[in-house]
Amino acid sequence: MSAILDVQNVTRRFAGLIAVNNVSFSLQPKEILGIIGPNGAGKTTLISLISGTVAPSAGDILFEGKSINSLQTYQRARIGIGRTFQIMRPFPGLSVLDNVAVGALFGHGGGESQLSRAREMARAQLDFVGLGAFVDQRADELGGPGRKRLELAKALAMQPKVLLCDEVMAGLNHVEIDEVIDVIRKVRDEGISILVIEHVIKAIKSLSDRLMVLHHGEKIADGDPDTVLSNQAVVEAYLGKRRA
Amino acid sequence: MKALRLILILIALAVLIAVPWFGSDVLIQFGINALLLAVLAQGWNIIGGYTGYASFGNSAFYGLGSYGVGIAMVQWELPFGVGLAFGVVLSVVFAILLGLPVLRLRGHYFAIATLALAQVMAAIVSNVKLAGQNIGLVLPPLNNDMLFYELALALLVAVTLTIWWLSRSKFGFGLIAIRENEEGAAVMGVNTTLYKVMAFALSGVFSALAGGIHAYWVTFIDPESAFDISLNVKMIIMAVFGGPGTVLGPIVGAFSLSAISEVLSSEVTSIAGLFFGIVVVAAVVLMPRGLADIVRQFRKTGWRYFSENIKATRL
Repeated sequence: MSAILDVQNVTRRFAGLIAVNNVSFSLQPKEILGIIGPNGAGKTTLISLISGTVAPSAGDILFEGKSINSLQTYQRARIGIGRTFQIMRPFPGLSVLDNVAVGALFGHGGGESQLSRAREMARAQLDFVGLGAFVDQRADELGGPGRKRLELAKALAMQPKVLLCDEVMAGLNHVEIDEVIDVIRKVRDEGISILVIEHVIKAIKSLSDRLMVLHHGEKIADGDPDTVLSNQAVVEAYLGKRRA
Repeated sequence: MKALRLILILIALAVLIAVPWFGSDVLIQFGINALLLAVLAQGWNIIGGYTGYASFGNSAFYGLGSYGVGIAMVQWELPFGVGLAFGVVLSVVFAILLGLPVLRLRGHYFAIATLALAQVMAAIVSNVKLAGQNIGLVLPPLNNDMLFYELALALLVAVTLTIWWLSRSKFGFGLIAIRENEEGAAVMGVNTTLYKVMAFALSGVFSALAGGIHAYWVTFIDPESAFDISLNVKMIIMAVFGGPGTVLGPIVGAFSLSAISEVLSSEVTSIAGLFFGIVVVAAVVLMPRGLADIVRQFRKTGWRYFSENIKATRL
């Protein structure tokens, strides 16, 4: 079984701080891999390293067996890496529809060249994430939950092979979380491999095929969600050491 | 609604084309100036309005266009058209060579870096023998204002059609995405460096053509007037007054501000600059997003539009 994404001994230092320290893992085709960890564990940096907005200080990242270290951000998008942002970054002046159309116009394989076709694809994608009623609104008029879905629709419109989700469930209520989980499962059923960063442990436990835990930039656990969550080191990272 | 708008635009265009046949010499000369300023405002609109990079370097393109025509016609005795093409080549080369480093800067830093471009070009040209050093070049006169008027109008139509195409093309969407959020654009697959340089060059091509036409019209260029930074300020004010990032806004801005400034300088001659300043300040306070935004929002909000903008500026 060959991994679609293979992260090998990747390290990223910001001045004195080591945000990601010698982390290795792989993502299998059609797998949903959850990554959890306390604030500042290096989760978002890891996604930025894969999507190319941050360059690694050391290590290698392979996509479909080939190193992507030398590729620029937009080139990674074109070979099929899509991501969402934790701090939502819509194009504020554009309509919700056109925000997503940008993903269809560019995105995987260089995207669609016809604006009308791109808008059609965007409309379908917005229906899929449940924003079909908001296509004509300006993106900055959407509320928090709407923006989370918009981030997802924008990334999906790129027709990626790998989807990197950075806290798409943060700030949502239970009903909304269930809806997003449903959407992510459907995305996987279409054959897309997914990496999900999340704080909401309950949600990620039910969603992930496999769970990985980061703490102070290092990987401290990786495996079946139930096993990982009962792991002593993981419990300590989240709740602190038990005092004797 | 759409058809009505198109008809109105065509009527306006027909009137503009006909001006030299019924207008006085003064009106035609005012027209040439206003049309060239509108071209410059539209040129700035591509890099400043659509791509979101407030360029103060567009007067460098304008100067290169002027000198392209000047050098070709005076030193090499080539026809005007060749001079225009030479100016375009110069400005594209300039856009690529300087755009690559300068377009890495964002916001104020980009503005400051480009602010220096025109000054540096003026200093360089003052020392180039081929360009007549600081004395300048005297071009062969052509007393045909009608031709210059129609040329300037044709150029304005060309730049406006280009921007109309931008507003509905993949390239234009890439530029808008860069303006709205550059990192977000890159993550979605927009080759931001290439797109920015292309926008800068396209903006430069039209500015250079305007400079070339102006040079042949006034028959004299020197480094001071060709690389004039205040011209760059003018095009920004006009584009922003009309509505940056819209297809027609900068034209409306250029025409209305040209007219206001013309009336002021004939009515209150010596303090015209002061009044012009007041107009600009009032525009910034009352309609910070330009005339185009008023047209869009006024029906919804009415006169409240202005009071809300005043409130937003916390005066």
